[in-house]
Amino acid sequence: MLYREAGDFKTTYRSDQQTFPIKSERWLFWAFIAFAFLVVPFFINDYWNKAVFMPLLIYCMAALGLNILVGYAGQVSLGTGGFMAVGAFACYKLMTAFPWMDMFTVTVLSGVVTAGVGILFGLPSLRIKGFYLAVATLAAQFFLVWMFNKFPWFYNYSASGQITAPERTIFGVAVTGANTTPWATYVFGLVLVFVFAWVARNLTRGRIGRSWMAIRDMDIAAEIIGVSPLQAKLSAFAVSSFYIGMAGSMLFANYLGAAEVTEAFGIDKSFLVLFMVIIGGLGSILGSFLGAAFLVLLPVLLKNIMVDQFGWATDLAAHVQIMLIGGLIIFFLIAEPHGLAQLWRLTKEKLRLWPFPY
Amino acid sequence: MSVELLNFFETFLNGLMAGVMYSLVALGFVLIFKASGIFNFAQGVMALFAALTLVGFMTGQVPFSHLINAIFGTELHNWGAGLPAFLAILLTMVVMVALAFLIEKLVLKHLVNQEPIILFMATIGLAYFLEGLGDLMWGSDVKTLDVGLPSGGSFWWEDVTRTWAAQGAEYYGMYIDLLDVSAALIAVVLVIALSLFSQYTATGRALRAVADDHQAALSVGISLRRIWVIVWSIAGFVALVAGIMWGSKSGVQFSLSLIALKALPVLILGGFTSIPGAIVGGLIIGVGEKLAEAYIGPMVGGAIENWFAYVLALAFLLFRPQGLFGDRIIERI
Amino acid sequence: MNMHDITVKHGQELRMTRPDDGIRRGDPLLVVDNISLSFGGVKAITDISFDILKGEIRAIIGPNGAGKTSMLNVINGFYHPQEGTITFRGEKRSKMRTHEAANQGIARTFQNIALFKGMSVLDNIMTGRITLMNRNMAWQALWRGPAEREEIEHRQAVEHIIDFLEIEHIRKTPVGRLPYGLQKRVELGRALAAEPALLLLDEPMAGMNLEEKEDMSRYILDVNQQFGTTIALIEHDMGVVMDLSDRVVVLDYGRKIGDGTPDEVRGNQDVIDAYLGVSHDD
Repeated sequence: MLYREAGDFKTTYRSDQQTFPIKSERWLFWAFIAFAFLVVPFFINDYWNKAVFMPLLIYCMAALGLNILVGYAGQVSLGTGGFMAVGAFACYKLMTAFPWMDMFTVTVLSGVVTAGVGILFGLPSLRIKGFYLAVATLAAQFFLVWMFNKFPWFYNYSASGQITAPERTIFGVAVTGANTTPWATYVFGLVLVFVFAWVARNLTRGRIGRSWMAIRDMDIAAEIIGVSPLQAKLSAFAVSSFYIGMAGSMLFANYLGAAEVTEAFGIDKSFLVLFMVIIGGLGSILGSFLGAAFLVLLPVLLKNIMVDQFGWATDLAAHVQIMLIGGLIIFFLIAEPHGLAQLWRLTKEKLRLWPFPY
Repeated sequence: MSVELLNFFETFLNGLMAGVMYSLVALGFVLIFKASGIFNFAQGVMALFAALTLVGFMTGQVPFSHLINAIFGTELHNWGAGLPAFLAILLTMVVMVALAFLIEKLVLKHLVNQEPIILFMATIGLAYFLEGLGDLMWGSDVKTLDVGLPSGGSFWWEDVTRTWAAQGAEYYGMYIDLLDVSAALIAVVLVIALSLFSQYTATGRALRAVADDHQAALSVGISLRRIWVIVWSIAGFVALVAGIMWGSKSGVQFSLSLIALKALPVLILGGFTSIPGAIVGGLIIGVGEKLAEAYIGPMVGGAIENWFAYVLALAFLLFRPQGLFGDRIIERI
Repeated sequence: MNMHDITVKHGQELRMTRPDDGIRRGDPLLVVDNISLSFGGVKAITDISFDILKGEIRAIIGPNGAGKTSMLNVINGFYHPQEGTITFRGEKRSKMRTHEAANQGIARTFQNIALFKGMSVLDNIMTGRITLMNRNMAWQALWRGPAEREEIEHRQAVEHIIDFLEIEHIRKTPVGRLPYGLQKRVELGRALAAEPALLLLDEPMAGMNLEEKEDMSRYILDVNQQFGTTIALIEHDMGVVMDLSDRVVVLDYGRKIGDGTPDEVRGNQDVIDAYLGVSHDD
């Protein structure tokens, strides 16, 4: 009887509309947040930060962004890798052009730049739909990667064609460059993800979110009701790219430190984030997190077992891993097409009745 | 003729040949889409898998040798003897049919009546699975494939075209790869065979019926599941042909699976359900790409082949959202 | 199901029609003038004219394929006629985007239910108010403050509609799970939420049993009488049409063959021919 809603009456619309309408859920959420902010930073080490927490935060951000576009607005995109590259290069240009700028500002501005690019590549969505649009976003993916490769201005004419993040601090603590500490980058990423997850929740629950979902569910009816497809689709592209751009910026500046565009932002990134969104659950913020966690943690786990326990060669382990991930995607689609978030919802419905199932 | 013009023709011709290769992959997509409404993202990986398997049979590799060696500490690699190309192709075809059967049994059967996007995602999962499986079975090193198709430039064509140049101009004749020519011929035969099959056999009629309307086809007693196995087998066969062509040309390696991505703009131009569309679309993309690389490429720094096809398709879509051979879309409510 | 107890605040009276537009009851609200529409070579509508007066219930009837739904599609800007004009609230328009028609106060329901399947009943009806909400993205991102206030204000209006249509118990159910009759009702709610000046109903009673039809008729009459909403409806059930409507337009093969009060139309020879079937190959 830990999880129940009987007796949890709502007397105002405001309390009826809150994110976690049930008390025990609210407690669970805040306990989790407290753990992430107050416990993890004191125990985190370099391995955990590099292998688990940073990728987790970065992909949470990217999945959140892609879910807004694919899950909420129903516009399939395969251009995530390209948009992450925009974020990374915007971040690099901003860092080198304005050395005094703090990293929060840089990251958010990188997102803003990416949002602009996203709107540009979102324009075709006004004419074309579905798979056709997916191919149009592929154009974005390949074009952007090519562009960052071909024009040396983007990587400040460095000989290697790589971009390298210089050291930047926040309140005197380094969050990029060689002198970062695990807890500093972790907390930096955590704050960003926390704030923007909250923003995503706000956007999706109100007028804008409903206009996205209306376009997704039945675009013609939505337009007849008064949703402007132009506004709805382009705002979805903008917001989505904003998040993905920030993810790209974090991936480059706070995680990799140095990046080469074809290697770091290829088409495989697009698919990876898309899988996260699907496995987690389309149209669900919680789903974005669950999907990102699943696909970040699973390879770490598999690698630990196969390479460290069995002592297999890494390439062999990689083959088994890719096969397993493919198989799991199919399995999840068959078992629960609406993703992990739906599984969680079903568990909650069961829990509500527990221990009396009827 | 001036040398410039001849060079233009040469580029054009090579574009056509490259286009045939794209068409071959796109053809597999169209077949499956027509019969089941599934956009099979795994088509490219199926070509890779088929080519890997073929090479494996021809060189007599032991499947899963790496995995077996890792688990049991053995040193297995080869049976010691390879198979002749003809037999290996037949065996590979058997594998592809078995694969089609398994895909129907393990994946499609459970996803009937799901939304197209879910099925699309499932085929992406399938693509990953097959990629991993292929590497696991046969290793991920780059392999050469030679089933006895002619290759290299055609001297005869070079000699013929040399005489076309204007008097006194320095021109050495056009280059055309014999492999490309044979690929084009095989593609033509394949398309004719497929059209005959779908026009004149009972199974072909059933295929077209299913393509038109699943429910109606079911109601007259056509077994959807049997049809799906057949369609995926045919797609597997087309993948095998594509795999042989691409594999002979540039080696059997992971990048082969990426040709699936190249087939997408082809499909957009030609429409998802039109076989002639796939052919014409492939040719347009092939020619457009080669011409763009030769004439626009130098202006912007080259390597625009990577994205030009997509931008071409995109530009095309903006003016004709229904594709080259599609009907005008009338939206209803 | 959720049993959240929600106290409805009756602070604000529900407006169902937009602020007065200067058109008096009984004057033409919408005038359709010599409209022709064709797809490729197929003529869907040929030279049709009629008007809809403010405050009336206007029925559009005719056999299948007569062009009724196409007519509604023209009225709310979804199809663009090749010839003719439409004057709504005294404003003549030529080409217009669909969502602009919604902004001018035209709402509708659909022949085949066109609800947003992935959303709850509440969200579906809230979406109907999208033209009335205007907080920008920055406020939405912050939520606390103006965006939340606006949301709650509109939530109150929506709760009135939910009350009116007696669907309180399903307000948080995803619409995909509802039976057909309830979905039709939710769709009416979504159209009402826009506080339309003109409400277009495309076969609101198709596929319903007698009881459901009676309920729906009651809602339609209530909407018309309590809120003074002008209604144009397509319906096949002649009993319903004759009882509900003030005036009837009859279409056949894309042409107008009759126009008038239910009694006049009933006596019209062309209409009788169209319904009983007379050879058309002159």
